[in-house]
Amino acid sequence: MLLMFDDKHKNHLSFLTDIDISVLQEFCKISIEFIKKGANTKVYQSAAQKLGVSAETVQNGVEGLMYLLTESSKLMINEIDFQDSILTLGFSEEMRQALLELYLDRRKEVRAILNQMSMELPHYHNLEWRFDVELASRSLRHQVTPTVTMKLHTEENGTTSTQVLQTDPTNLVHLTSVLEEALQEIKSPYCRRIVRNIK
Amino acid sequence: MEEVDNIILHSLRSIGCEIDEDVVSLKEFNTEAIVACSVRCIKTIHGDVDLPNTLPSAMSAKFRMGTSLANHLQELGYRGDVGYQTFLYSSEADIRKIFMFLVDKLPKEVVETTEEILGSSVLLQRNIANTLSRQLSSPWVPSSLKHKGIAWRGKPPTWQREGTCCSFHFHSCNVSAPEGSGDLSKKIPKALKSYYQTNLPFITCQTQDYNDIVPSVLEKNAADVTAQMEWENEWNQSGLASRLSQQEYRDRKRQRILKRITDQLRQDRQRSEATSGSGSSQDLQQMLASMGGRGTGSAKTKGSRFTHSEKLLFAKDDDKAISEVTTVLPAGQTEEEKQKEREEEVNGLKDELTSLTSRLDDLDLEVKKFTASIQQMEEQISNQNRSNSEKEDGYKVKKRTLDLLPDAENNIAKLQSVVDSSAQRLINLASQWEKHRAPLINQFRDLKELSSKTESEAQLKLEEIKEFRKKMKQVQDDARGKEELAKQLHSEYERMTKDVNRSAYTKRIMEIVTNIKKQKMEIDKVLVDTRAVQKEINQLSGKLDRQFTVTDELIFRDAKKDESVKKAYRYLASLHESCELLINTVEETGVILREIRELEDQIESEGHKKVLANLEKISKDYQQIKKENDTLIKKIKGKS
Amino acid sequence: MELSQSILDGLTLAGETSHIPDKCFSVLVTRAFDGILDERHKQLIAKDPSFRSLDQAVVKEAYYSMVALVSEASKHDLDINSISSVLEECKYTNERIDVFNKVFTSKKPLMQILLSSVGTSPPHIVDVNWRLDYYIKNNHMERVNEAVYLIELKTEVPGTSETKDVQFSCTQEQLQDLVGKLKDACKCLEKISQM
Repeated sequence: MLLMFDDKHKNHLSFLTDIDISVLQEFCKISIEFIKKGANTKVYQSAAQKLGVSAETVQNGVEGLMYLLTESSKLMINEIDFQDSILTLGFSEEMRQALLELYLDRRKEVRAILNQMSMELPHYHNLEWRFDVELASRSLRHQVTPTVTMKLHTEENGTTSTQVLQTDPTNLVHLTSVLEEALQEIKSPYCRRIVRNIK
Repeated sequence: MEEVDNIILHSLRSIGCEIDEDVVSLKEFNTEAIVACSVRCIKTIHGDVDLPNTLPSAMSAKFRMGTSLANHLQELGYRGDVGYQTFLYSSEADIRKIFMFLVDKLPKEVVETTEEILGSSVLLQRNIANTLSRQLSSPWVPSSLKHKGIAWRGKPPTWQREGTCCSFHFHSCNVSAPEGSGDLSKKIPKALKSYYQTNLPFITCQTQDYNDIVPSVLEKNAADVTAQMEWENEWNQSGLASRLSQQEYRDRKRQRILKRITDQLRQDRQRSEATSGSGSSQDLQQMLASMGGRGTGSAKTKGSRFTHSEKLLFAKDDDKAISEVTTVLPAGQTEEEKQKEREEEVNGLKDELTSLTSRLDDLDLEVKKFTASIQQMEEQISNQNRSNSEKEDGYKVKKRTLDLLPDAENNIAKLQSVVDSSAQRLINLASQWEKHRAPLINQFRDLKELSSKTESEAQLKLEEIKEFRKKMKQVQDDARGKEELAKQLHSEYERMTKDVNRSAYTKRIMEIVTNIKKQKMEIDKVLVDTRAVQKEINQLSGKLDRQFTVTDELIFRDAKKDESVKKAYRYLASLHESCELLINTVEETGVILREIRELEDQIESEGHKKVLANLEKISKDYQQIKKENDTLIKKIKGKS
Repeated sequence: MELSQSILDGLTLAGETSHIPDKCFSVLVTRAFDGILDERHKQLIAKDPSFRSLDQAVVKEAYYSMVALVSEASKHDLDINSISSVLEECKYTNERIDVFNKVFTSKKPLMQILLSSVGTSPPHIVDVNWRLDYYIKNNHMERVNEAVYLIELKTEVPGTSETKDVQFSCTQEQLQDLVGKLKDACKCLEKISQM
């Protein structure tokens, strides 16, 4: 699928069509830094001075480049589509190559950063277990009660929380077998077909 | 022989050899059985030995297996001639020896695994393993089908906990029950008795939360037991030493505690009065006085009244504290004037108070001065009185002497005699006193000794009592420990396998030992007899020789002269020869008899060896090997 | 097991036929058990007609000592012989001892279940539900295409009758890790059970 650019975006990017390759590459680096860490206005100032244009134009250019990258990473478009999309923008052949390289190199990083913004459920982190046998308590002496105590570590948005749980051997065996079944389910032909067909 | 066979068969069966039920002795073992059992034995001894379990059918394989078995046996250390023939063409005696050797090598490994130290930690582990295996193999049931989280499984239904939905905390409350209602010697006050009968609820209805009943009952029992033990300890140590009865000891203890509490309260009250300045603690004073008064009253059931008064005391304290607090509350928040008034009032009262106290101090000082001066005056008065009386006495004496002066000499003589008589009287009285004093002193000494003796006796008895109590406790502990040990050993004994009747074997062995001893004695006797007979024979033959030479010489001397003597000599010679012949034949018969016996023994043992049957087998096998060889040669020829 | 003197006195009282006749004794024993085990039965002893003719203080004391004996005996898991020796010390006849032993052996497991319910524990896992989703896209990214499991552990919390759920998600590798650890635990248990 192709990216659609609106006019504002095209305007911002049109500034970049007139510059040298090396400067373009600089801009690429700056936009990557922008995606990773945020805007750096000093750099804009210095670049604007060097190139003899206003800082705003520089910023627009960088933002446009960044938006191009994020959109293409989000949609995970392949090379051909990417190249076709940027044909309309008016870049030269070598600039297009540079942009393609940039896209292909940085695609995974950008996706990882985008992933952090998405919603997250508390997910499993670690499980510690231990086996105890209760031999006596204040109210009943001479008992043999095996128990398995577990500490479940879950992580959500960077914070780990732990929970102490307990179970007995029968339930543990049941738990293990049910979860094993679940694990086998993903290898069943039905799931495989779905995975194959959804691309 | 049967016992040996029994033991061998039993051990072979116990390591897993398949032997028919009706095979009772080694005679009935055929070749396959022998081979199978020996392979089993070797495998049990060594572990992994590359031998097939049964005898293969091909003759060459049989031969190879026989030799390998023989090799293994020799490796194990069997001393004796063993080769493939001992397994394939066996004789009973040889097999018996081989199996005895193998079975002997066996038990050291097998027995070690059955001999376990049945200590309590092993028992615990076994318990845990059993419970765990039971729980692991039981099927899962969803929690809605379990009643209160408990699942019942198994043939004698045992329970296991699989859910904690109905657990509750151990929470105990105070519960009470009647005491001594059946004991006619103790008197319960009427009010208490009617409370027990009508109002006190049953123990299961006394707690608010139903779940607290069992914990409360357990806690009450534990508290009572601890109190009992504490009292026993205290009684054993300081109670017996004080030599009061139990009741008196308790009373004295209670009074001491009450006294300490009243003192402490009094001190605190005084301290609090000094800091706060408020005076009215009438109620507290009353309470203290009444507490002191009550303490000396008659003995009551321990604890209840004491706690009752304590509660009242603290209730009053609380009341006082509350009243103090309420008066200090700043109530005049509405109008400042009222507050000012009150402040002025307070200030005025304070001034009055200070003036009053200063006046009180002054008056106190004056009172002290006056009392001091009173004391001084009194001292002076007493001094004066003393000097007065002395002077009076002196005056009286002087007056008397003046009166007596005119009739001086008579009076002097009279006075002298009076002095003498009074001196005599003094001496009399002193001697009488001595007479009285001596027995009294003796009595006093005797009584003192008696009392000290009884004291020391009492001390001894106390120590004895303490010793006895200690011993009682020790014996109780020992008895408990021994009971537990007995239980443990009993359960161990029940668990031990009883399939090998050891006592029968030991009896048999002892019998055999005595038999052997008897036989040895008999053999010794026979040997002694034989030696005696041999000595006799030697003696007699020696005697015979000597006799013969003597008679021979004697007669030979005379034979030259007389004819009849020559005849006699000839007869003597022939007699001697024939007797010698007889003796020789007797000896030879004996030798031949012995040889006969030996040959008979040999025949028997050869007969056991089943030589004929084995020979047939060997020839058959030989034919078979020949045939196999021929077939193999044909095959080779066919292929090439 | 140690019983206080008041309990022993009460037991002796309960054993005397002058205070508690034979017919009432078996009823007393069964009521003692019922009163502890079932909440609805705790008042039965008060309303029981067979005790109305007796001195109520005696009945209450005997009932209390029965309850205490039953609780302590179940707590220490005593066998019939030890209890019989305790009752013999309190001068019980053999028939009364037999009556008590019969009821005791039949109700001892229930008593022990009750005693084992005393105490706290962490939430107890009883069941597990799972669900497998295929994560396609979110509003920041498309083409995510991952398989995600949602696991829900049903736990019983002491004191509440409803199950409390613990939910979390895992990827396939995380679930494999979890299952691997659970299998380790199961293997460890089996090894111990075979010792």
